[in-house]
Amino acid sequence: MKHPTACIQCDTCVTVCPVEKVGGHAIVTFLADPDATDYSVWLCTSCWRCQEACPAGVNIRELMMEQRRREQAPAGYRAAFESVLACGLALEVPQEELNLVRAAWGLEPVRLPPPDLVRSLLRSSG
Amino acid sequence: MKLAFYPGCLVLQRMPEYELATRAVLRELGIELEIVQQAACCGAPVAESFTADWVYLAAYNLALVERMGYGTVVTVCGGCTNTLTRAACALQDPDVRAEANRRLETLGLSVTRQVEVKHLVRLLAEREEDLRARTVCPLSLRVALTNPCQVFRPGDVMGFDDPVEPQSVRRLVELTGAEVIEYGGEDECCGATLYLAEPDLALAAGRRKLEATQGADLLLHSCGNCQLLLRRFQRMIVRDAPGLRKQALFLPQLVGLALGLPEEELGLREGTWR
Repeated sequence: MKHPTACIQCDTCVTVCPVEKVGGHAIVTFLADPDATDYSVWLCTSCWRCQEACPAGVNIRELMMEQRRREQAPAGYRAAFESVLACGLALEVPQEELNLVRAAWGLEPVRLPPPDLVRSLLRSSG
Repeated sequence: MKLAFYPGCLVLQRMPEYELATRAVLRELGIELEIVQQAACCGAPVAESFTADWVYLAAYNLALVERMGYGTVVTVCGGCTNTLTRAACALQDPDVRAEANRRLETLGLSVTRQVEVKHLVRLLAEREEDLRARTVCPLSLRVALTNPCQVFRPGDVMGFDDPVEPQSVRRLVELTGAEVIEYGGEDECCGATLYLAEPDLALAAGRRKLEATQGADLLLHSCGNCQLLLRRFQRMIVRDAPGLRKQALFLPQLVGLALGLPEEELGLREGTWR
């Protein structure tokens, strides 16, 4: 991963990162130290605190997402994405089953997205 | 007044009580919600982690809202709020919008205007005085809140409250009469998004919160993700530390109690939540 030229390695992102607070190392570890190897872009929680605080205006979240697309995803992300591709939602719950639960709570029935929806929306452009 | 309602995967599939309580509280304020039928995943962070095309998934959901004839869609999770708001902004670019409409054409959908995405916290914050006037059962509770991180940042896109130290959730909790305890972790991570990548670290984040909030009667969430980690997954955290067990409610459940709504209308089993 290429270190962004705009980054001045001031450490601000590290001090505000909630993942660093619980002992994990996300992209901010790399920004503060381009030689770091003990970090993972998959640990970012998308809280946007680093980007909000960055004095150099680095688009940290976009850098993180671009790097994710170049890497092998952890199992949890892969499973969730496969479900989105298959049924449009992060979990596969049949419509009938879902509506039985909703009825028990007094909630109106829902219709789930049409099959093949997501593959057609996410097809590469051009 | 009627508004479109987008619960998102997690609340639709796992947390009907959040939808129920949201509807009950908004009904008191004269707002009815119409659920977005055939809605899909908002697009992030899951799809966004795999493809830059995530924005077209978000565009599909916004196009559904537009077809329903609504200018505003109400959300209850931080992630969906953030994703749909960013997509609505991105779709202001004529090229992005044209490509979205090419992909939506076969579905008979299109994006022609900017749909406003409004999280429940924002909707309630705009009606603070109305809520104050309707609060008939002030609550005697000590509450530890977690701000739904993605509702407030990036500040220039979300345009609501202070992006670094948001106050609207605290103000809404205080309206109920409950005392907000300060524990220093109001803006720290619940751990839910971490769970997809590293479950042990996610549970450590949750444990940190439970340890810091021992002085509170309950935890208070305004996002399905926080509730997922800190309530649904709590048994995994407290297995070796039962003393850390803590009740956790959604914001509209707490507000609903203060409005005098019956517990069953808020998705709370009578008497058991205290």
